[in-house]
Amino acid sequence: MNELIERAETINQLLARYGVKFGIYKNNTFHEQLFPFDAIPRVITKAEFEVMEKGLVQRVDALNQFLKDIYGKKQIVKDGVIPEEFVFSSSGYLPECEGILPPKGIYSHISGIDLVQAKDKSWYILEDNLRIPSGASYPLIARELCRRASPATFRNNGVIDNRNYAALLKETMEHVNCGGICVIMTPGRYNAAYFEHSYLAERTNSVLATCSDLFVENNCLYYKGYGQKKQKVGALYRRISDEYLDPCTFLPESLIGIPNLMSAYRAGNVSVINAPGNGVADDKGIYYFVPKMIEYYLKEEPILKNAPTYLPFYEKDRSYVLENLEKLVIKDVSEAGGYGVVFGRDLDKEQLERMRGLLITQSRRFIAQEVIDFLDLEIVEGYERVERKADLRAFVLTGEKTRVWASGLTRFSRNPDSFVVNSSQGGGFKDTWVLSH
Amino acid sequence: MGTISLEKMNHLFWLGRYAERVYTTLRMFDWYYDVMIDKNPMEYQEYCRRLAIPDIYTDVENFTQSYLFDGNNADSMYANLMRAFDNAVVIREEVSSEVLSYIQMSLDALKLSAGCAAPVLELQKVTDYLLAFWGCADDYVENEESRNVLKCGKYLERLDLYFRFDYPTAMLEKEYSKLKNRMCRVKLVCYDEKLEEFIQIVRNPEARKKKYTEALELLGEAVEV
Repeated sequence: MNELIERAETINQLLARYGVKFGIYKNNTFHEQLFPFDAIPRVITKAEFEVMEKGLVQRVDALNQFLKDIYGKKQIVKDGVIPEEFVFSSSGYLPECEGILPPKGIYSHISGIDLVQAKDKSWYILEDNLRIPSGASYPLIARELCRRASPATFRNNGVIDNRNYAALLKETMEHVNCGGICVIMTPGRYNAAYFEHSYLAERTNSVLATCSDLFVENNCLYYKGYGQKKQKVGALYRRISDEYLDPCTFLPESLIGIPNLMSAYRAGNVSVINAPGNGVADDKGIYYFVPKMIEYYLKEEPILKNAPTYLPFYEKDRSYVLENLEKLVIKDVSEAGGYGVVFGRDLDKEQLERMRGLLITQSRRFIAQEVIDFLDLEIVEGYERVERKADLRAFVLTGEKTRVWASGLTRFSRNPDSFVVNSSQGGGFKDTWVLSH
Repeated sequence: MGTISLEKMNHLFWLGRYAERVYTTLRMFDWYYDVMIDKNPMEYQEYCRRLAIPDIYTDVENFTQSYLFDGNNADSMYANLMRAFDNAVVIREEVSSEVLSYIQMSLDALKLSAGCAAPVLELQKVTDYLLAFWGCADDYVENEESRNVLKCGKYLERLDLYFRFDYPTAMLEKEYSKLKNRMCRVKLVCYDEKLEEFIQIVRNPEARKKKYTEALELLGEAVEV
C-alpha cells in the first residue's frame, strides 16, 4: 500500500486530467474545484461489510415500504408509530405524489446512506439520502486510477473490485424501464455534480439530457433527436430536485424541468429515478423513526444503529436537550450539505439561550444528537500523516432486489477541528475498500 | 447510442472547429513568432489582419502574452481553447472521458505556459495533446455520425484558415475533399453547391483575390448547424 500512497500526486494529476471536479457557488459565481483525493483507503473487512450490508438492505427496504405506505394507505401514521406532524409537515412530503405507485413499487432506487464509525468500531447511521444522492462516481474513477498507479497494491490485498457500479446502476434503471431508452437528466454544466452526471451517463451508456432535450407528448416522455427524430424514454434518472422537475406540477418558474412529466409518470409510462416525494423519508426528523419503521414493516430488530437522537418535539426529549445543549449537536431538519449544523460546545452563553428559545418555539425544526466520538482516519498532509474526521456514504441500489455496492464514498474533513466532511466545505475523499477476506 | 440531439450535434461541430482553430493557429503563430524574433517585430499586425481579429496589441510582447494566454481577450488562443472545452465537457458521454481528457490537458498545458520566455517550446505540449485528441476521437467516439460531425467542423475550420493564410491551392484541394467526404455522410443540413462555389474561387488565382470575402461567406454557409 505504501506504493499507492507514494503515488498519490500522480493519481491526483490523473483525476485532474479526467476533469474529476465538483462545482461550487461563491458570491453568486460558479467555480469548479478538484476534489482532493487521499490515497490511504478506508478499509472494511469482509465480516464487517457483511453486517453493514444486511443492515443497509434492511434499512432501505423499510424506507421503501414507508414511502409506499405514506403515499398510499398511511397505515404507519394510523397505527400511531410516527406522528402525522412529522410526515405531512415535512417539506419533502409532496401531496402531488399521493396515490402514485411507481413502476415495480420502488421509490428509492439509489439510496445514499451516510454512516460514521465510532472509536469502539461500531457503525452509526448519520442520515439517509433518498432523493438524488451523489458521490458514487468519485471512488469509481479513483479506483480505476489507483489500479493503474499501483497494480501491486491490488494484486496483494484482496480488494473487491468496485468498478461494477455502472453495471449495477444500469440494471437498476432497466429493471423499472417502462419501454424506451434510459436517460440521465442533468440541470446542466453548472450543476455542482455535473462531472458525475456526465461520467455516469458515459459508463452506463445512457443518454445525458437537459430539459431542452426532453418533452412529453400523449403522456409519454421523449428524447428529442436531430431533425424530426424522437425516442421514447422508459427510465429517467433525474439529477434535479423534485421542486424543479415539472413546472406544471411543482414550481411554475422552474426553467430546468419538463412540463407534464408528472402526467407521464402518473400514467406509468416512464420511471422517474428516484421517485418524486422521497424527501419525506430522508427528512432529518423522520430519521429518528427509521428503527421503528424497520420493526413495524419488517418485524425485525434494526441491525445498524442511529446516532443517539432526540426530538425536541417530545417533551421528555426537549427537557433533556435543553439541559444538555452544550454537549449535543443540533441539526436544522430543512438544511443539507453540512449547513444548519450547530455544536452546542461552540456556542457562547447568549447563543445557547437563543438556541434554547428556538428549540422551544420551533421544536419540529430541529433534532439533537449526541456527538459521536468518531474513529478518525489517517490522511497524508504534506509529508506527514495526520488524523481527520471522516464519514462514509454507502450506496444501496434497489432493483429486482436491494444490493449494497461494495465500496462507497469516504469523505474527510481537512480542517483538524471540524466534523464537517462535505466537499462543498473543503473536504476531500478516499477510496473505500471492501476486502474479500 | 442512437439518436443525437440537435444540441449535441452543435457541440460536436463546434468542438471540431475550435480544436482545429487552436491547432492550426498555433502552427501559424509559430511561423509568425519566428519572424518577430529578429526580422519584423510588427509582423503580428499581418497575422491579425489575416484572421480578421482586431489589432489591440501594443507590441510583440503584449501580443504574445495577450493573444496566447489572456482569457479576457475574446480572440486569444486561451479563449478559443476554452470554447473547445466548453463544447466538449457537455458531451462527455458521446465522445468519452478519454477524448475529453486531451482537451482538458491541452487547456492545462496552455495555462501553465503563460508568462514563459519561450512560448513556442512550451506550447508544443498543447499541439501534442490536440493531435492526441484527434487520434483518440478516431478510436473512442463510437457513433459514426458523431465522428463525422466532429470532422466536418475540423475540416471546415481548416479550409477557412488555410484560405485566410493564402495556402497553396493543392493543400486547400486536399482539405476540400476531406470535408466533402464527411459532408455527404452526416445528417446535417449541408449546401454542397456553396462548397463547390468556394473551391471554384480557390482554383482561380484572380477570383481568389477579388472574391476573398465572398469565398469565406460561402464556406461559412456550407454547413448549417
